[in-house]
Amino acid sequence: MEFFKKFGLLLLGGIGILGALIFYSLNIPHKRSANFVERGVMTAFAPVMKPAARMSGFFEDVWDNYLNLVGVRQENLRLRDEIKGLNARIVATGETVLTNQRLEKLLGMRNSIKEPSLTVSIVGEDLSSWFKTVVIDQGSSSGIAEGMAVVAADGVVGQIVKVAPTTSRVLLLTDHTSGIAATIQRSRARGVVKGKGEGLCSLEFTTREEDVKVGDMVLTSGIGGVFLKGIPIGEVTMVKRGEYGIFQTVTIRPLVNISHLEEALVILREPHD
Amino acid sequence: MIRNASAILALVLGVVLQTSVLPFHVAEPFKPDLLLVAMVYLALRGPVASGALLAWILGLIKDVFSGLYLGLNAFSFLLIFLVIISITDLLYAESGELFVVTVSAATLACMTVNLVLLLMLTTTPGISYSMTAGLLPHLLANAFAASLVTLLPVFSSPQEEL
Repeated sequence: MEFFKKFGLLLLGGIGILGALIFYSLNIPHKRSANFVERGVMTAFAPVMKPAARMSGFFEDVWDNYLNLVGVRQENLRLRDEIKGLNARIVATGETVLTNQRLEKLLGMRNSIKEPSLTVSIVGEDLSSWFKTVVIDQGSSSGIAEGMAVVAADGVVGQIVKVAPTTSRVLLLTDHTSGIAATIQRSRARGVVKGKGEGLCSLEFTTREEDVKVGDMVLTSGIGGVFLKGIPIGEVTMVKRGEYGIFQTVTIRPLVNISHLEEALVILREPHD
Repeated sequence: MIRNASAILALVLGVVLQTSVLPFHVAEPFKPDLLLVAMVYLALRGPVASGALLAWILGLIKDVFSGLYLGLNAFSFLLIFLVIISITDLLYAESGELFVVTVSAATLACMTVNLVLLLMLTTTPGISYSMTAGLLPHLLANAFAASLVTLLPVFSSPQEEL
């Protein structure tokens, strides 16, 4: 009795280990079919295992989705940034293409002018609505002087009136004080193109007998020494001959769209009388 | 010192806004005259001693960026400033409505003085038509700009010592 008290636990453990070993050796799979223990345990757990598996699958999905969601959010932010960047690039590319087209046209005009010229950008407009001047980004340090002619790809813009070292002001051909000697391309009738404000001009001092029709192209005549001969100014949009008076009233729409003008050429030729 | 620097900064901002920013976003007749608004503010709320010179300088700056005649707006601004100063004691200068009304009246006066000077001393045919046609939108734009100025914190700050 004393022996069992002293070594009982050890003995029990040894028997247990031995029993487990015997149980294992008996079940070494020379035949693979389930024995009664396996069948019993499996049967006992079957009702619990299915819902547990489903539950586990559910939580796995939730966890995966959560992780994915975290990833998706980050991906979403990254993609948004990418879209913003790409949109900015598309806009910049479009702008570059348009600028290229404008400058290409301007280059065409530049090549057609025999005198040296300087490309300038419009950086400001007149503070008042009734004077028509614009500010350009080049001045006397680039060789610009008062009186020089300013043209765009489509035709005459105006002439330089005030010059600072790095900026200048251009009197547009639509200003009331502007006057450009001009000729009608078809009939060679002469006159002076004066600004009327409102984006229009008039051809003045053209006598009633001169042949002027709507649609005629008006060019610089070269008289006055500011503008070279033959630069387009505008198109005749209205001709009115009253019963009395020496001159006819001719309205001209300038070819250059002044309100959308961004670049122009200053012809670097001092005006001469 | 800080006040003067702020005033110069506001002036530069106003000029840049009016020459290079607003023309691309606002239809031409609705271009506000921010320098005129500044001059009226100066007349109603600023110091009298240096105010006349400042008003003349504001007009001169406008002439540099407008038209061909240096001194045209300088003269108009000085004249209008002196008229406002002479009656400012009778007015409640801190009223926002009064400021808007004064800016509108100053716009009319400025255009009239400019027109008279142009017709008298220069050859600008058709300018009277252009100015008359642009009067109403210009008046509205200036009144709107003035009403915005009354919302600025600087407008509700106490008036300077005269």
